[in-house]
Amino acid sequence: MADAHAPTRTAAVPAPTRPPRRIAAWLAQERVFRLVPFVLVEGLFLLLLAIPFGLTVYISLLKWRASRPFEQAHFEGLGNYADVLADAEFWWALGRTFYFAAVAVSLELLIGFVLAMLVARTVRGTRVYTTVFLVPMMVVPVVVGYNFSMIYVDSGPLNQLVAPVAALLGFDPRIRWLSHPIAAQWAIILADVWQWTSLTFLIFLSGFSALPRPLVNAARVMGASPWQIFWRVQLPLLKPVIVIAVVVRSMEALKIFDQSVLLTFGGPGNSTQTVAFYLWRQVWQFNKFSFGAAASMLLLVIFAALIYAGIYLLVRQRSVALAEGRG
Amino acid sequence: MRILTIVLAAMLVVGTGATAGAQVVPGATVEERAVNGAKAYLQKHNLKNVEQTILLSSLYRNSFPDFSERWEKLTGVTIKIVPLGYTDIPAKIMAEAVAKTGEFDMFNDFPYTAPDAAGAGVLIPLDPYAARGKPDFSGVAPGLSHQQYYQGKLYTFVLDGDHLILVLRQDLIDNPQVKAEYRAKFKKDPGCPATMEEWERQAEFFHTKPGQSRWGMTFDKGLYGAMGYRSVNFSYRHFPAYFGGLLFDKDMNPRIATPQGVKAIKQFASIVKYMPPDIQGWGTPQIYPFWASGQAYSVMSFPSVVGFANSNEKSVIKAKQLACLVPQTDAGGKLVRRSPQAAGTGYMVSKYSKHPELAYWFVQWLTGPTVGDEAIAHPKGFWDPFRESNLKNAAIRQRFGEQFLATTMENSKYATSLLMLEGNYEYFNVLDKHLADVMNGNATAEEAAKRIEAGWNKVTNDVGRARQVQTWRQGVESGIYLDKFE
Repeated sequence: MADAHAPTRTAAVPAPTRPPRRIAAWLAQERVFRLVPFVLVEGLFLLLLAIPFGLTVYISLLKWRASRPFEQAHFEGLGNYADVLADAEFWWALGRTFYFAAVAVSLELLIGFVLAMLVARTVRGTRVYTTVFLVPMMVVPVVVGYNFSMIYVDSGPLNQLVAPVAALLGFDPRIRWLSHPIAAQWAIILADVWQWTSLTFLIFLSGFSALPRPLVNAARVMGASPWQIFWRVQLPLLKPVIVIAVVVRSMEALKIFDQSVLLTFGGPGNSTQTVAFYLWRQVWQFNKFSFGAAASMLLLVIFAALIYAGIYLLVRQRSVALAEGRG
Repeated sequence: MRILTIVLAAMLVVGTGATAGAQVVPGATVEERAVNGAKAYLQKHNLKNVEQTILLSSLYRNSFPDFSERWEKLTGVTIKIVPLGYTDIPAKIMAEAVAKTGEFDMFNDFPYTAPDAAGAGVLIPLDPYAARGKPDFSGVAPGLSHQQYYQGKLYTFVLDGDHLILVLRQDLIDNPQVKAEYRAKFKKDPGCPATMEEWERQAEFFHTKPGQSRWGMTFDKGLYGAMGYRSVNFSYRHFPAYFGGLLFDKDMNPRIATPQGVKAIKQFASIVKYMPPDIQGWGTPQIYPFWASGQAYSVMSFPSVVGFANSNEKSVIKAKQLACLVPQTDAGGKLVRRSPQAAGTGYMVSKYSKHPELAYWFVQWLTGPTVGDEAIAHPKGFWDPFRESNLKNAAIRQRFGEQFLATTMENSKYATSLLMLEGNYEYFNVLDKHLADVMNGNATAEEAAKRIEAGWNKVTNDVGRARQVQTWRQGVESGIYLDKFE
């Protein structure tokens, strides 16, 4: 019986190679091949975005705390959304986040711009300066948080540095950087500025490097002062770069989380709790998963509107630049 | 007679069955039974080279391996450690409740994690195993031993007396000039304060500005009159010492917006003026070294602060500490002493473990009276004394000192649990937030009390009042909070 089966087994060996050939031939057809990227992209979209998004929407419509089995969840409708909108802490956290982002990004743009301008004008050591100024961006946020927590200690280096100025202004030189509600907010902003000015510096430096030299030289030949060259020639040319820096950094700054957790854990009280930290707390500390899902959906709407505005600005800048022949 | 014989036979059969279902594992001690239980389990399931994983508080990464290695020698079971900061562990446990990966066999965290984690189904009740392993909880004060249970089921094995203690600077109290000045002012010798008011008066007395010379000494960096935990995530652990009673009535109505609550909030905030300015941003990593640096007169803290200041290389107050009972507080006209179990390392078993019984045997072994005592005596550990047997253990006596040991054990009689309720971290956050507002002058104690009351009611209603009331009453009746309903 065994011998009788042997030839059949041998004959079956090449069989597995057939289907791949068939698949390859099928894929090679023009009408199929052109659909492959579309299917892959759509597949990834479904897997990475649409399914989690759909799940989040679904969970946001339930009443579910993770401290109960999911089987006990029940349909709540828009109740969670109403609860989020009625939660003063949500609005405080959102407002605080916008405040952090506005102040931090403004400072980062200003300092990054000045540094980039100076480095762009430097003849020697440009690479060294560039490398040094980029270091903060590459430091792991946890390390930044730890280092700044040391810097901000009551008797730490920052207070020793500002003590003479504070004494002159009549302030208590021992500023409670991490425990006073206002000072702690500034502590977070300054740590963010230290780390992310590198990014605006990099964007602006690339902008300065791309400025057309003939235009600047022509202005100089025509007797324009350095201030006029900067104000009338360079700055208008840099507008698209500035918009990119504003949009990119603002989007990132609105997600501020690390410094709030590492430096103050949202305290004192909740005075440094950002909206990202608020969400984390609702979900992972209070186990209010459906409430958190609703809050994140509302945030998505708010941030999407901002992103749309940012993209609109970018596109408009690009259109203006093209119309002016700079694109 | 025949009927009686049938009934007796039936009782015998039922009784035998019940005994067989919970047959006690052989062994003279808790630890022996744990080892035998583990070996029997391995043999029954024909298991070899088993590795189990524990999500461990990173505080124990230097001491825990000594015990896990011993367990491996005894049973052949390897314990893999995944260290994590204790503030992050609850979220990790809840993530496991959702993901159900089975990545962890055991969790090491405070008992306060149990209500949410048990509700989520990630913890396994340990009663069936305990019925066979016969752990020994004797000599553990009610406020600590009952913490191991939630809704009547055993979920956690506690191995840590983290009930708060007050520590003073013995060297300052013994200073003759200090004594004379103190006696002249208060008509008594300085020493352990009887009440919170007296502690604050002492804090005021000892509080010294930087550069000031007093009692034949110059305090270059100043001397802060008091220290205590006042940051978010920590304030709630201390507040019950000031409140001195049940935070809710039997229907879960908050008792915070009462004269007792308002007074407690005021007292909690008032003493902050004698603490280091940064205190609202400090946790243990800041408070312990600062205390050891000798820049404060007193500290209310976890008991391990004493061991830290006695053993830390840079400490300037080695053998200069006086451990005291937590001062009494005026709770509605009567003085009561309450020492909140502010943390308390515990061990829980994951429902998604491949071998939960095996994990249980390790937990029973580690927390048993003999091995547990060895852990508490471990020089690199943060396990604090909590069991009467600790008093007789020579290594523990040597490590902690007789005076401290006697005090913390006396203090354990007043140990009370924080809220063992579903959603407890949300209750805690409401309290923390509004206490911070009072400490920063952004709200009065009365305003804060009303806001806390509203916030707590919101949490109770959101979780489900009926369920919370039932759990709360059950907890109060068990003696976990020491106080009973009036």
